[in-house]
Amino acid sequence: MQTVTLKPRMEIMISVEAENISPDRFAGRTEKEIQSLEVWMGNRRTTIGELFSVKVEGEGGSAAADTEIIMEGDFSRVKRIGEGMTAGSIMIKGNVDMHLGAKMSGGKITVAGNADSWAGREMKGGEIIIEGDAGYYLGSGYRGETCGMRGGKITVLGNALDFVGEHMCGGEIVVKGNAGLLPGLSNNGGKIIIGGSTSRPGSEMAKGTIIINGAVDEMMPVYRQEGTEVVDGVTYRKYTGDVVVNGKGLLYVK
Amino acid sequence: MELLIKNGAVYDPINGIKGDKTDISIKNGKIVDKVSSRALVIDAGGRLIMPGGVDAHSHIAGAKVNVGRVMRPEDTRAGIIPRTKITRPYTGYTVPNVYAIGYRYAQMGYTTVFEAAQAIMKARHTHEELEEIPIIDKGALTLFGSNWPTMDYVREKDMDKLAAYVAWGLLASRGFGIKAVNPGGGEMWGFGKNVSGLDDVVPNFDVTPAQIIVSLMKVNEMLGLPHSVHLHCNNLGKPGNYKTTLASMELAKQVKPSKDRQVMHVTHLTFNSWGGTNWGDFESKADEIANFLNNSENVTTDMGQLIFGSATTMTADGPVQYANAKLLHAKWGNGDVELEDASGVVPIFYVKQISIHAIMWAMGLELALLTKDPYKVLLTTDHPNGGPFVNYPEVIALLMSNKKRQEEIKTLNEAVHKRTRIPGIERELDFNDIAIMTRAGSAKVLGLLDTKGHLGAGADADIAIYDIKPDQIDPSVEHAKIKSAFSSAAYTIKGGEVVVKDGQIVATPAGRTFWVDASVPDQHTDIMMKDIRMKFKNYYSINLANYMVEDAYVTHPNVVRAGVIPVTAR
Amino acid sequence: MTVITDALCPLCGCMCDDITVVVEDNKITEVKHACKLGAAKIMGHDRIKAPMMRTDKNSDFKEVSYEEAIDAAARILAGSKRPLLYGWASALCEVHKKGILLTEELGGIIDNTASVCHGPSALAVHEKGLPSSTLGQIKNRADVVVFWGSNPAHAHPRHMGRYSVFARGFFSEKGRKGRKVIVVDVRKTDTARIADEYIQVQYGSDYLVISALRAILAGHADVVPDTVGGVPKEQLVKLVDTLKTAKFGAVFFGMGLTQSKARYKNIDNAISLTTELNSFTKFVIMPMRGHYNVTGFGQVCTWETGFVTAVDFSRGAPYYNPGETAANDVLARKEIDAAMIIAGDAGAHFPANSVRYLARIPVVQVDPYWNPTTEIANIVIPTAICGIEVEGTGYRMDGVSLRYRKMIEPVHPTDIEVLDRILERVRELRGE
Repeated sequence: MQTVTLKPRMEIMISVEAENISPDRFAGRTEKEIQSLEVWMGNRRTTIGELFSVKVEGEGGSAAADTEIIMEGDFSRVKRIGEGMTAGSIMIKGNVDMHLGAKMSGGKITVAGNADSWAGREMKGGEIIIEGDAGYYLGSGYRGETCGMRGGKITVLGNALDFVGEHMCGGEIVVKGNAGLLPGLSNNGGKIIIGGSTSRPGSEMAKGTIIINGAVDEMMPVYRQEGTEVVDGVTYRKYTGDVVVNGKGLLYVK
Repeated sequence: MELLIKNGAVYDPINGIKGDKTDISIKNGKIVDKVSSRALVIDAGGRLIMPGGVDAHSHIAGAKVNVGRVMRPEDTRAGIIPRTKITRPYTGYTVPNVYAIGYRYAQMGYTTVFEAAQAIMKARHTHEELEEIPIIDKGALTLFGSNWPTMDYVREKDMDKLAAYVAWGLLASRGFGIKAVNPGGGEMWGFGKNVSGLDDVVPNFDVTPAQIIVSLMKVNEMLGLPHSVHLHCNNLGKPGNYKTTLASMELAKQVKPSKDRQVMHVTHLTFNSWGGTNWGDFESKADEIANFLNNSENVTTDMGQLIFGSATTMTADGPVQYANAKLLHAKWGNGDVELEDASGVVPIFYVKQISIHAIMWAMGLELALLTKDPYKVLLTTDHPNGGPFVNYPEVIALLMSNKKRQEEIKTLNEAVHKRTRIPGIERELDFNDIAIMTRAGSAKVLGLLDTKGHLGAGADADIAIYDIKPDQIDPSVEHAKIKSAFSSAAYTIKGGEVVVKDGQIVATPAGRTFWVDASVPDQHTDIMMKDIRMKFKNYYSINLANYMVEDAYVTHPNVVRAGVIPVTAR
Repeated sequence: MTVITDALCPLCGCMCDDITVVVEDNKITEVKHACKLGAAKIMGHDRIKAPMMRTDKNSDFKEVSYEEAIDAAARILAGSKRPLLYGWASALCEVHKKGILLTEELGGIIDNTASVCHGPSALAVHEKGLPSSTLGQIKNRADVVVFWGSNPAHAHPRHMGRYSVFARGFFSEKGRKGRKVIVVDVRKTDTARIADEYIQVQYGSDYLVISALRAILAGHADVVPDTVGGVPKEQLVKLVDTLKTAKFGAVFFGMGLTQSKARYKNIDNAISLTTELNSFTKFVIMPMRGHYNVTGFGQVCTWETGFVTAVDFSRGAPYYNPGETAANDVLARKEIDAAMIIAGDAGAHFPANSVRYLARIPVVQVDPYWNPTTEIANIVIPTAICGIEVEGTGYRMDGVSLRYRKMIEPVHPTDIEVLDRILERVRELRGE
């Protein structure tokens, strides 16, 4: 196992685009090689080494699966960490900016703090755990796309903002806290579990499951109530819809 | 500025050159017989040379193209290339930005492209985009098939007024020719309805699609326009529509051409060679269309070849697009234009294992391979309806290699075996055929043979050199090489200037815009304009004074003169 | 004295093209046919006379030469790691093209004022498309017109007369008498007062109401609760009946829909409702665009970059993701280090936090008029007024492009000249 530890060398105000921070890009590379990988700060092309201290420990061979990235400090202005990663792990002991783990298909990302919007965008596999809060569009798609998250699992221990799992086609999202407006909007598969409260869940849901354990502030007027059902030992009111799209979606509300 | 291209294997069908080593001399942007010893020399080293590619039907500019872009940021994010010192950024695949359109065509060795549909009222927008497309020459066909004045004059059988309206409409739109899309249907879509055949009567206007088509052909020939009527048939997108297509082509027999070309160009046959009565018994009738073409001299067509993967359908055929959106549960753009026509935009993804898509894939190829004369079937994908134009090299390779076709057929839905004839067609086109379908034929169909589509003296010095030695390649076997060479020209020369070298853009001159200035007797225009003024006073939402496209929007014009009387410069 | 007829009004998205302007001694002395708002803009008001600069935003401006102001502006922009070029709605398309080129070369972000009004509409179009038409199609055919969260009586005074409520056309000879006018809004607006039907929706409930209408239209009225968003179910059922039995219906939506709870998702839902109505009859939908050429910026930006606005060129290629790349997104995150505000007023329309942040960073303003942005600018470069002193292209709210006439000769340089000179100076500074 090769462990790469990154720490910011300065306070970052202008967002850094750092899709190169990924086990796939770090695997089998020396400290120097990792330092020289490209990142962008605004319109300036720079390197990982300019912005972060890099420490490599252990031998990992060339496989992403054998690569662990540990990030210590504040990364709340660093976007696209772990984008497209296929294996390995990233542990972030702080906050991160947008597009964490976008398009990832394997491996595991853990954030001790908060993740900004679009975490797990278009995710295909692997796991993201956000111990703090998530922003908007958790596990959703890119603008105009018909599919958001297709596979894998995202867990948020805190709250998430609006549009959780928009256009979701597969995989699982668990938000332990509250979710904002319109979770599961236009979804076509997958499962969303919300521990706390939310509003307007499942609009235009064609397929998929949404389970809500807290209060629903406003229900969509497009669901058919089908009595109650026990899921994992808990009794829920069961709804099907969205009838507008002849949806086969399942909505469970405690 | 002089240039001499030596040592090339030249395919120039118009001048009867089939792979001979011929030198090409260029001076001041034109091909000439001879240049001086000071000429810059390009040694083609035995590689394939053709005239610059000419595309007679592509959707590259205007309102519906931009609607496609706005609707599809997910498409725009594909194919992005950052700016360089020479080029602006490229974006998009099916709906590329203006720069990517010019660069990618040039990189394939294409130098002239025609936008296939603009409504007069939205022509200013079309020209704003055409102005921004770098390198290539271009033009736009103007929609006349559902315009209220057209239908009024057809009903009144007043061909003089109709000719005056067409001439004025071409001037107003800076258009190159007459396009008719689902004639009559555009008006009916105004109330959400459609015509269902050539003899349906359009309510309130009391005309039929057949009457509109024949009348437009008549005035097209009265005016002696360079191009013929360019027809998108009625009933497009409906199983069984090949009958409507054949019946439409029959109409061409009623009109004599005014020049050495067809009187009707029927476009994107992949979308209207459909047999069957529903999606269940859907089948290809491209063979019947080819049979018609083999026995007719005044109709030409283009393939509208389907390419598997992402496409964006866009057409003035409003009702077919609503039907598509509903069928596919896809997003839908609609853009009716008052008094003139409709339009719609719907994304689609063509899948090899979907029987209808596999059959449609076969139709374009069948049409091209079963029609004997390549001058009658141009190579297009009806960009971006059948697929983006960047796939022309794929189509070329399919036409040149039965082996490639058979390999492809193995990956398709089995319906391709039962409902098309493609598996049994062994014909393989040669470089001369390809040069016709992509250059000589398109230029002839457009009526531009004086300067485009060939390499004789007087032609524009638009030339493509491809990294293939025709005498050392077997396209049937080495189809991958064919595809790659046509994708990335070794040289593209536009107006005598090298714009592409080794597949890379090296210069980005502005192209010209072709439009047709057709004159008619003043008295015809005067009486026609009385009607037009009435329509603006009562029905249009803008004033007549703000309707016509101003010179400011056509900064590099190439005006082609035509008309019913001897023409004087306007 | 010169009389200019068929002139275009550079005020709102209606772009009325029947204006008559009387000019004496290069001054506009009379405006005919325009509404009060349009006439006031064309008649003109106080202008910024000369370029001005100041280093400390708390001190007074000093008048400087154009050369000095342009040089200082270029230095700010060329040195910026994340410049924002914002505004554009009150400028012509020719200016937009130049602005996009400048932003591209700077590696900046370009965004227009739609960001704070109809920007959400584009996000909905990405999801659902846009079944629409030109305004004349509505004038000639519509027998049902719906204004949802829009109030043309105030914001677009001539809209109802020229295109929608009162307009007469080929199939609509009776004008107002042949049309049913429906207003859906949270409050009874002046437009609602002249409507045949007014439906009052609880604030922020539009999304729910639209979904209920879609469910009823799809034949699932049974699942719809007795009241949705404060509207009784019977009223919704009746409305659906009116809509689907129309011969040609049109929905015009405004900021009441784009800027209320759920924002662009309201539009997204309304577009779907419109699309679904087409299974029964013909229906179209259109945004009531505010600034006259806010539509034009979207058109130009789209054909140039593929994206409609909020384009980030920082890595040399266009990147688009509103929520991340729109003007207010980057201002709220305080990650812009310089801004140029042109033909639009950030000072008046952005949230207070964003304006406070703009007040802290170098700001270049290019505009004919003194406005709240001037108060937070370091460099102010006055220009000629597009559509009055400069000719060029604008796009009406329905996407029809028209050419603005020049009414009088400008005293100031045009926006294009200023942008050209800034670009030229930026290239010099970068040694290109």
